[in-house]
Parts: sequence; structure tokens; C-alpha cells
Amino acid sequence: MIALSVAAALAVFILYTSVAGAGTPQLQPSDLAVHSQGDIMLVGTVVGSPAGDAHAAGGLHFVLKDAKGKHTAARVPVSYTGTVPDLFRTGREVVVEGTLRNGTFVAKPGTLSTKCPSKYAPAPAKKST
Amino acid sequence: MAALGRAALLLSFGLIAYALVAGSFAAWKRRRRLALSAQNALIAAFGTTVVAALVLWTALWRHDFSFVYVADHTSRTLPLGYRLSAFWSGQEGSLLLWLVVLTGYSALAVWLNRRTRDLVVWVVPMLAGISTFFVFMLCFISSPFTTAAAPADGAGMNVSLQNPYMLAHPPLLYLGYVGLSIPFAFAMGALLSRRTDERWIVVTRRWTLAAWTFLGVGQLVGSHWAYVEIGWGGYYAWDPVENAALMPWLAATAFLHSVMIQEKRGMLKVWNMVLVALAFNLSIFGTFLTRSGVINSIHSFAQSSIGSWFLGFIVICVVFSVGLIYLRLPLLRTKTKLESLVSREATFLYNNLLLVALCLTILWGVMFPVLTQAVRGETRSVSKPYYNFFLHSFGLPLLLLMGIGPLVAWRRASLRALGKTFLIPAIASVVTGGTLIALGYGSSIPGLLAYTFGAFVAASIALEFVRGTRARHSLSGGSWLGALVELVGRNRRRYGGYIVHASILMLAIGIAGSSAYQTVRERGLHQGQSMEVAGYTLTYERLQTRQEANAVATRAVVDVSRGGSHVTTLYPGKNDYPVEQQVSNEVSIYHDPRNLGDLFTIADQIDKNGTLFLKVLNKPLVNLVWGAGFLFVFGALVAMWPDAVEQRKLAERYAPGAAAA
Repeated sequence: MIALSVAAALAVFILYTSVAGAGTPQLQPSDLAVHSQGDIMLVGTVVGSPAGDAHAAGGLHFVLKDAKGKHTAARVPVSYTGTVPDLFRTGREVVVEGTLRNGTFVAKPGTLSTKCPSKYAPAPAKKST
Repeated sequence: MAALGRAALLLSFGLIAYALVAGSFAAWKRRRRLALSAQNALIAAFGTTVVAALVLWTALWRHDFSFVYVADHTSRTLPLGYRLSAFWSGQEGSLLLWLVVLTGYSALAVWLNRRTRDLVVWVVPMLAGISTFFVFMLCFISSPFTTAAAPADGAGMNVSLQNPYMLAHPPLLYLGYVGLSIPFAFAMGALLSRRTDERWIVVTRRWTLAAWTFLGVGQLVGSHWAYVEIGWGGYYAWDPVENAALMPWLAATAFLHSVMIQEKRGMLKVWNMVLVALAFNLSIFGTFLTRSGVINSIHSFAQSSIGSWFLGFIVICVVFSVGLIYLRLPLLRTKTKLESLVSREATFLYNNLLLVALCLTILWGVMFPVLTQAVRGETRSVSKPYYNFFLHSFGLPLLLLMGIGPLVAWRRASLRALGKTFLIPAIASVVTGGTLIALGYGSSIPGLLAYTFGAFVAASIALEFVRGTRARHSLSGGSWLGALVELVGRNRRRYGGYIVHASILMLAIGIAGSSAYQTVRERGLHQGQSMEVAGYTLTYERLQTRQEANAVATRAVVDVSRGGSHVTTLYPGKNDYPVEQQVSNEVSIYHDPRNLGDLFTIADQIDKNGTLFLKVLNKPLVNLVWGAGFLFVFGALVAMWPDAVEQRKLAERYAPGAAAA
């Protein structure tokens, strides 16, 4: 009986993975040189000053670099429209979903989120000063 | 001051380590006096840990910035309430809170059960073992009492933590997380002392219920916090850190149900051990997830250095619990077998399998980035569609089972009797489904299923109450209300459970309504312009600014009307915190009594020229989600309330003579 139910649960699981595929790749700016097809979750640190307006035609423009690892030179420009989180600013680590088109990462509207200091963690911007 | 804190912690470390070593030795060699001494040391450790906690609280209260912790997490302008809650806004303080709760629980649990000595004798070193890890971390790895030259002012508190919920949400979660240590320690203690009857379950029933209630309420409070404070209009995002609290809660839910089968029929002994170990290990794993930065979460931080310590601790806990259960397998054999697939036991079993399946698929989703990195060298993550799929495929059958289970007889139910009892709930669900389709709510299949199943559950719970009350009324006469109160009072566990079921049903209705049938609109507005959302007209009138204690508050004044008549005025806006150099969104919500929903407004962007970019969500039935929390606590309290009759029965059952026979 138990074995049967476990098998049923497993079947549901395999059904899902075969239909819906296996998740979205999480990449850093330097990975885009190799992997640039399809939907991507891009993780990076904001460098330079963001320009434009996320609620106007053209959208918000900012540049991301790798948040960790040794490929510190890689940069990718991002264009974005939609809600901008409160904590978004230069130096913050952000996650954004979208696709790479002609060297620019075009984000899906409203997918920008910052890795926010949360209930357990000290505010990192303050730590470094 | 800091020296006193450090000394108190070191003393706790000594006492706890003594309780672990001496307690294990005493239990092994059956030394009664030594065991008693270990027990007293564990109770004393609560006292010394409280002293350490008071030192930290005093420092926070007095703005003693020579404590690095105080300087990092508070500032002079921070209001007193938040200053005191800064205790758990950082890593060191959180660990200390964990230890305070753990030693407090341990002292109470050990003291309450001091008479059942053969069981407690191994529980003391088990609890001391868990405490050792935390007190070690606090003394040597991550001390809240590190000092430095005091700066003129502190760094302040992260603005999203400056919310009344901060006072309640983390402590509630800790009370829940840590509470799971008690049934775990008693279970392992029972295995170690070879007392594998259901006594450990009986002794820890209320502990498990309490921990589970705290964990559930803690999560709901956190959801409500995210809902009103973070300002994206949702309350659960399947973020790894949120899942970290949901997984042990699901495992504990399964455990709460399956122990009833062991109590009633002596079955599932191994399974219960596995579940209690799973729930405990998941609670430690949750803390690890939050702290280590292994998983990319919007909550977690890679900077934290204590992740690997937690990982080591988890490995020890898992190996220990799996190994011990394996060694004691011969003692856990059951004499009774499942008699029929259509019985109360069987529905409990289905419920268990679905809960554990849901729990494990969530765990798989959380671990997915790490697994794909290890196997394919590429990090991939799953998101909302993955979790929603499994919530639907396992959660909806669970909902239906909640209605079926109570109607099915123990041991073996006849299909004919079932047909009779199912008639009314089945009619209720068909009528509800038909009505919803006729009204045009068939657009969302999961939503429709949730409501038809929900009607079945509601009817079946109502039926249970009606039948019971009628029986009691005919037995003792008096008023109907009196009969109902007496019914619940005499079977607190059972009817408390039904009340909790009703609250879960309310939660499901609220979640389905606010997700499957919500409306979202966003638009840029100049002053005087309006927008329409779900029958409401929202007019942006003007901006206003005022100075608060530690922030500059900007608010858009938005008039809300419906059918030409004024409904309310909303004030969405932003707060600017100069010390913390952060801006936070302040949402404004109108609770609509007509559909028990919310009109949720977010000032997404306010331009310098005064143009407002307004985001509006209409979320029907969402207030049922929060209302369910109150009903949940009430039901849990009914089920937990001390019962003199039950106590007497237990005392007879486990009297020294009876146990030996």
C-alpha cells in the first residue's frame, strides 16, 4: 500500500519534470558569453549609476557585474520596466529574469528583486564602512 | 557588562556540557543521583542563559554602542520597541534567542516529567546535546558580546524590519522551531532507553501541538508582514526561507495525525519516529538555509560564516537519528496491521503520504539549484509554477481528505454506510460547483476544485458538530448551545481538531480567492486623474509630506469611490530613512466587507514633478487568510487545554504496576 502510494507520488513528480522541464538557469554576467539562449535568471551586482525611468518608454537601464567569483571584468547592460524594489541601488546584488538580445539583457517586466538584508542578517552596506 | 554576558554564556556552556556528559554516563550506567544532578544542571543553564539575554537587552535599551551588536543593529533615533526587538534582528542575537527558548523549554519539559524517570533519563542528555551546539556557537564562533570602541551612533535597523510584526514574527517562529526539539528529544530518549511504547507520544502531545501552532501562526504573521510591509501585494512567494518554515510545519502536521494511529491502534511506530526526526532536522535545516547563503534567496546572505557549522550539526543529527531508529527497529515492530483500505487508519495514512510528498517536493525545489550545480555544473532554479503544481496535485486531495477522514469508521468501514454519510457533503459540493460555474467562476480549475472540495469539507465538519450536539442534547437535555459547549468540552481533542480543520479550510478559500480571482492594474497618474479597478474609481488628489521620528513620510492622497459615492481615502507612499539611507514603500489598504477582500494600493514611483505611478490590486476573500489564523489558534487551544479526565486515565494506564505488566 505504502509502496503503491509512493509510486503514485513519484509518477506525479516525473510527469511534472518531463512536461515542464527542469527549471530556469541561474547565471552571472560572465556566464552569458557561453550560455545565452532562452529564459535566464541573471544574478549580479549593480555597477555605475542606473539611468532612465522604469515606468516610461525605454525603461530603466543599468549594468551588472558578477557578484562572486573571479570574472570581475564581465559586464552586461540590462533594460527593465516595472516595479523597482526599494532596496535597488548601485552596489546591491539583484536578481532579474529575462533573455539576452543583441548583447542587452531584456528583462521581463516586474521580475527585478534585490537580495535584501533580512531579519537575520546585518545591513551589509553599513558593515563595509 | 559585556564581560558579565560572556561569563554567563560560558557558565551555560559548562552546565550544558556537564548535563550532556554526566547525563549520558548516568543513563548508561543507571546512576540515579548523577542523572538527577545532570537534570539540575540543564535546568540551571536556563537561568544563566537568561542572564546573558538580559545583558544584551540592557545594552540595547541603554544605547551601549561599545557592543558591536548594538552598534550594528540600532541607532539613537530608533524607537524603544524596535531597539528591544533588535535582539533577534541579527545573527548573534538570533542564536541567543534560540538558546534561551531551548533551555527554557528543556527545563520546563524535564521538570514536568521528572516523575517518569526511566523516560527522562535519556531526554536530559539529548536536550543538552542540542543545546551544546548553540551554546558552543555563541561562546566561540558568533558572540553577541563582542566589544569595540563605541561609535557616536549606531548603523540603525534595516527599514523593512521597523514594523510591529518584527516584535512577534521571529519569536513565534523560534518558539515553533525550537519546540520541535522536545518531541524529538523524547522520541530519541525513548529509543535509547528502549521504552518504545506510546508513552513518549502521550507525554509530548501538547508540546508538539504547541510547537506546531507557534510555527503555523509565526508563518502567518510573517506572511501578513510581507503583505503589508514589503509592498508587492502578495503574502507568499515560495522563497527558500519561507519554505524553510513551511517544511517542518508540514512534517509536524503529518506527525500530529499519525501519532493518533499509534495511540489508538499501536501501528506506525517506525513511521512516527521517522516523522519526528524529519520535522526536527528540517527545523535545523531551515536555520541553515537562512544563515548559510547556500541557496540564492532574497533573504539570505553569503557573507555569513556559520553555515558550515550548521551543516556539520545537521549531518550529526541526521546520522544520529537514522542510525538510532535503525538500531531499534526490532523494538518498533507492530502487532496490528491495516485491516482495510477504507478505514480511518487508511485515510490518516493517505493524509500522511500526501503531506510528506508535498514536504519533500518543496525540499527538492529548494535544493534544486545546489543539485543541478553538483550534477550538471550549472545552477538552475525552479520557481512559482513548480511549487503551485505540487500544491495543487497534493494540496487539493489533502483538502478533500479533510472532509472524508472524519466520516470514515476505524478499522473497516462498509461502503454502504459510507454512501449514506457522504450524501450531504457530496450534494453540498456539487451544488457549490454548479453555482460557481453558472456565475462564471469556472475560469480557474484549481480555484473551482478548491471551492467544491471546500464545500464537501465544510458540510462534513458541520455534520459532525450537528450529530454530536444532537446526541448530547437528547442525552442530557438543556439548551442546544449548552449541549454544543459540553460536546466540545468533553472531546476537546477531537472537536479542537475539527475547528483547526475549519481554519485550514478558511485559509484554502482565502488563498484560492485572492490568487485565482485577483485583479491587478497599474497606471501613471497626474494630480486630479483617476483610474478604474474592479468597479472602484481611484482619484489621485495630492501629495503630502510629514516628518516622523526617524523618517520623512511622503503620502499620495487617493480618493476611492464606487458608483459615484465616496468609499474611503487611501494614503500609499514612501518613507525615507536618512540614517539608514533607505527608502521603503508604505502600502495603503482598504478592507472591503462586501467580498472580505482588499483593495491594495502601492505608490510604485513618485516623480519629482508629483506624477504618481499607482499599482492597485483587488484581492477578494484575502481576509479569510488572516481570519483563519485566529480560528487556528482557537482550535489548537481547545485541543491543548488541560483535561483532568484524560490525565487520570493516563495516570492509571502508566501507573508503575501497569507499565510492568
